[in-house]
Amino acid sequence: MGDPKEITTLQATTIIISTIIGVGVLPLPLFAVRAGETGAPLVTLLGILLAATGLFILTYLGMRHPQKTIITYSHDIIGKWLGRFCSIFVIVFFYILTGLAAREFGEVVVSAVLRETPLEVTVLVMLLLACISCRNNINVFSYIHNFYVPIILAPGLIIVAFSLKNSNLLYLRPIIGNNFQDMAAGTLTISALFQGAFIITLIIPSMKKPAKALKASFWGIFVSGGLYLLIVIATVSVFGSEEIKQIFWPTLELARTTSLPGNILQRLDVIFLAVWVTAVFTTLFSSYYLTIHSIKELCNLKDHKMLTYFILPFVFIFAMLPQNIVQMYKVIQDIGRAGLVITFLYPGLLLLIDVFKGWRKKRSVVQKS
Amino acid sequence: MLYKNRNVQLFLLSVLLLPILSSCWDSQEIDERANVLAIGIDVADKQEEKSEDEIAHLRDFSITNNEIFKLTAQIAIPGRIPLGPEQTGGKEKPVLVVQVVGHTIEDAIINLQQEVANELFLGHLRIIVLNEKVAKQGTQRFNDFLRRNPEIRRTASLVVSKESAATYLKVSPELERIPSLYLADMVDNLTALGKFPPSFIGLFWTILSSKGQDAYLPYFRLKKGDNLELNGLAYFKGDKMVGKTNPADIGIFMSVKGIHRGGYGAFVKVPGTNEVVVVKAMSRRTKIKVSLKDGKPHASIKISYESTIDEKGNPKLLVSNSSLLKKVEKQASKDVVASTKKFIKRTQRVKSDVFGFGEHFRAKLPHFWNKKIGTKEKWEDYYQQLTFDLQVETHIHRVGMKAK
Amino acid sequence: MVFRKANYKHSGRKRYPMTSPSKDLEVQDRKYITGSLKDTEESIKAILGENDDLSMKHFKIFGQYHAAIFCFSDLVNQEVMNKEILKPLMYVPEHLIGREKPLTLLMDIIMNEALYHSQAGTEKRIDLLIEALLLGKTVIFIEGLKEAIQIETKDVEKRSIAQPETEQVILGPREGFIENIATNIALLRYRLPTADFQVKTMKIGRLTKSTVAYCYLKGIASETVIKEVEKRLSEIDIDAILDVGYLEQFIEDNPFSPFPQTQSTERPDRTVANLIEGRVAILVDGSPFALLVPVVFNQFYQTTEDYSSRFLMGSFVRMARIVALVFSLIFPSLYVSFISFNPELLPTEFAVAVAGGRAGVPYPAVVEVLLIEVAMEVLREATVRLPKQVGGALSIVGVLVIGQAAVEAGLSSPITVVVIAITTIGSFATPAYSAAFALRMLRFPIMILAGIFGLYGVVIGVIFIFNHMLSLKSFGVPYMSPISPENYQGMKDVVFRSPLWWMPKRPGFLHPQNQNRLKKNDNTVLKHNKVGNDQREEKSNGGSEGNYDTPGNNDHY
Repeated sequence: MGDPKEITTLQATTIIISTIIGVGVLPLPLFAVRAGETGAPLVTLLGILLAATGLFILTYLGMRHPQKTIITYSHDIIGKWLGRFCSIFVIVFFYILTGLAAREFGEVVVSAVLRETPLEVTVLVMLLLACISCRNNINVFSYIHNFYVPIILAPGLIIVAFSLKNSNLLYLRPIIGNNFQDMAAGTLTISALFQGAFIITLIIPSMKKPAKALKASFWGIFVSGGLYLLIVIATVSVFGSEEIKQIFWPTLELARTTSLPGNILQRLDVIFLAVWVTAVFTTLFSSYYLTIHSIKELCNLKDHKMLTYFILPFVFIFAMLPQNIVQMYKVIQDIGRAGLVITFLYPGLLLLIDVFKGWRKKRSVVQKS
Repeated sequence: MLYKNRNVQLFLLSVLLLPILSSCWDSQEIDERANVLAIGIDVADKQEEKSEDEIAHLRDFSITNNEIFKLTAQIAIPGRIPLGPEQTGGKEKPVLVVQVVGHTIEDAIINLQQEVANELFLGHLRIIVLNEKVAKQGTQRFNDFLRRNPEIRRTASLVVSKESAATYLKVSPELERIPSLYLADMVDNLTALGKFPPSFIGLFWTILSSKGQDAYLPYFRLKKGDNLELNGLAYFKGDKMVGKTNPADIGIFMSVKGIHRGGYGAFVKVPGTNEVVVVKAMSRRTKIKVSLKDGKPHASIKISYESTIDEKGNPKLLVSNSSLLKKVEKQASKDVVASTKKFIKRTQRVKSDVFGFGEHFRAKLPHFWNKKIGTKEKWEDYYQQLTFDLQVETHIHRVGMKAK
Repeated sequence: MVFRKANYKHSGRKRYPMTSPSKDLEVQDRKYITGSLKDTEESIKAILGENDDLSMKHFKIFGQYHAAIFCFSDLVNQEVMNKEILKPLMYVPEHLIGREKPLTLLMDIIMNEALYHSQAGTEKRIDLLIEALLLGKTVIFIEGLKEAIQIETKDVEKRSIAQPETEQVILGPREGFIENIATNIALLRYRLPTADFQVKTMKIGRLTKSTVAYCYLKGIASETVIKEVEKRLSEIDIDAILDVGYLEQFIEDNPFSPFPQTQSTERPDRTVANLIEGRVAILVDGSPFALLVPVVFNQFYQTTEDYSSRFLMGSFVRMARIVALVFSLIFPSLYVSFISFNPELLPTEFAVAVAGGRAGVPYPAVVEVLLIEVAMEVLREATVRLPKQVGGALSIVGVLVIGQAAVEAGLSSPITVVVIAITTIGSFATPAYSAAFALRMLRFPIMILAGIFGLYGVVIGVIFIFNHMLSLKSFGVPYMSPISPENYQGMKDVVFRSPLWWMPKRPGFLHPQNQNRLKKNDNTVLKHNKVGNDQREEKSNGGSEGNYDTPGNNDHY
């Protein structure tokens, strides 16, 4: 990478926050409640903890190789061909994630606001936005994320704050849910919503102080996880678990139920969805960027700019593959859980091998001397 | 390379974007929308039933829930309502009232669209009036459409009417230019005035789906001269209305529910005399504890009132006496206990847990709930056996501006 | 002081074939004066002789030596020429009476003892002398000497210093730059009496030979920025630089961006404030504007007044300006999306009334708004171009009559007129004309997007604009700093204008070499307000101990 290393710790944090917070917030309470009923907040918390563990592993791995991304250091750890083979999986996974995120948001927009606009158009517009922005270098990438974080956090917090007057604490009890097997599955689903945090592997090589990456990861997951948890608590306390099961996007419904004092705007859901475009954009932007950058590194290309347009039709086609919204959500959940192998197990394995190799090297050095 | 040229890039991009730019799918001007402001739902009589045309379905198509109903919609006519302060004159009615019949709401809306030139728009639907009979038949069949349609506000009001809902949409109150807005504002203000617990369609749905409580709605009655009156609280068992209270019981209901804001006053007899004073609840605090007594659910309710004396009947009676106030407090509490007991008993008889005791059991005794209850129907059975004890305290701190 | 001899080499470096008489001048390139007055006279006349405003006079220096004086009579100060040049040369000064004045020493005597002029020099090359003549100097040739005297006598009529037209303030200095660069630099120097203030000049423009000066504070401005400015300026090769705007187009980073990447200002106080923050100012002779680089977006909605007024007032006014900025960008598109896409957001009473107001308007809201907006732009342009007396009348009549008529004719709804009016007023509230223009222009694509996608389109458009702004750079400084990339010190001066004593450092995004503004980071300003501190009774100057001086600027006190 020819760019100067300019990303600060705060920027790295904000990248993680805005990448994680995305379209997943909308169905999040539904996933959580399906798994844990009134234990939804607990399921969410467990999911966050699981995701955090994965992120810390990845960050630690990145800090051991502060000049490289997972694509390049996997070569060093498990060999060139095996590394490349695994990298292809990473790339394909994030390529799929990009398409699904665009599709999911398009689906929400078409169901809730623009009912007659073709789905293809809304999805394509989102993808184009991400695609054109991807032509910038990694510093601009971090500026963009950094800039949008307040806009992403604000609507969530506002809606949580204003919905408090409708909340009923009884709905949150009992805190521990009823079915533990469902809860475990739900934990996986929830932690799959945090897969965007994988972007840290791309950022570390461009950070001013890669040693502080762990701090950035911690705060990133703390803030985004905190928002997720707040939203789940707010939706469950307003609707109760039974009602949530009947709603596709409980977070959006929460926005519909809350009204601003003084009736400045009669409904918040449309505004919320409009502002949420930003959050979806940043998520999409990250996974798109991760995809093309990984391809660039895998194929040793010099420039990623042309690649952005080249990938676009493929992402678009994939986004259009699921036949209907129900199938789409099934795909999202399945892919999300399967993705944990890539975002959780694979880095974990790499770290183990890396640590072992390092330990062996040290020992051989000691023996020689 | 060709693609390196910026102009070529721009050109390609604009060619790609051209089809997008040339269309505006969802654009629908505000003046071309038929804003449905209120709908009323009545039971259709036989004659009206036949008037349904074969629009959404053919006549011999059998619909499982075959009860046909009559939907009355109030639609704002663009241009009739002037922008800015009201000018004198203009006696024309600013709204259009249309009646259609249908088996479901969507069916009725399709029929309605057939009669109206502009596209129907439900985003400004502020109030839905259900006739008592319809409410007693069940509301579940209306909810599906209302929940599915993104235009419907979750904050719209749902009320039950004694008379036919159609008449509510035809009345023209003097206070507001648009009749249904008067109705909607009136319902919205009930909560602010402390006359009714929060009630909107979203809350109704939430209560309906939760296992341990039953829904309630405001119940209206038409008075002389196109005036409306809040005539009580309609309580439901599941989605069916099973009864109504008198207006005074709404205050009782609110205190058991734990609604902080008070608004109701009641005559209280001063013990030992024949005189009465009006005690108005300013605020209340409610605590509900649930337990199991011999495997049976038991609730202990503790209500404490902050009240004032608003008026007294006899000038000779002096309320400047602290011990007298204490007596009044005691008497007021006694009255509340009596009417609350009566009220709860009445709901138990029809298995309608409007107070939401079941939620307390579900939340606080999950073990018992999961083992014994689990479903809404089962809880309704248990609710009949619910025992409770009641403790009411009234505190009168102030007597207003008058010293005696 | 500005017209340094060394600079001539710079402009003389590149020469391209042009039409005569400068082509003739090229023939004279590097030719030297022969010493014969006649030859010299002829060669000058060959090139400039057709100009009637070229005046030439023969006279005798000290009554002894034949000499000729050349100048463009309209370009020079005749009084200076008569009293300070001709008089001491023709009329032997008292202290020289009786002394021998041989030809060999003549030049020395004239330059050091006779001539009453501070800006005089000698030159041997004839092409350079002609150029000097063209720049308003007076040239004296002496028979027998191979050197000529050139004296700065330029006196062009200049405007008096007036209040800046484009950047009016209520509080603060009233001076504005004028066209004359010497005066402008003087205005800066008088505010910055420090050795760190550096002025570098160069000549740009093959025909205009405009003096371009770039100024900075040494030790504060970043070296890389100064070097970059110098590099970009020296790469310019154009026939004419008539205004600082010509330079702007050559040195900006992204010419395709609608956003200005340099700031032009008419105010010396603003220029100085920016120099102190570590920016570089570029001035051009003939332009009353200074160009400030590098810039960030937030400075386009800041005014000098923010800093002159108390911080609460400054912050409040600044926030109002930000609201205006947002209005001017998205208000019409929000209106379009509310009216055509999401009327459910409006309160029911209002929505029904708006529908009433729009009933009868034949066009969709987008078309209606676009039409009125275009009309408004035309009106605005017309008002700027028309003479003042007519313009005032037109703007009022235009807005009132056209708006009213459009509503009555059913071409637009009254609310549309209100929306457009607010938008237009909002765009006037942005202090920097060029930035206001960018937002005004970008309003149209967003409106079209709003017409297609409603609120969704508005947000897409805004994201697009923000992404563009975030990727912009001005001389290596990210355009949206200090917001993103974040800079804590700079952030204190973005939305709020923090008190001066809360901002002990210069904005770090400009990478100044010297960061400190206040002597100490912790402020002592509020000490005199603390309970039990009765300084006010003892000292008359309160607790603030005058630590506002900038290091390196201590002679200020």
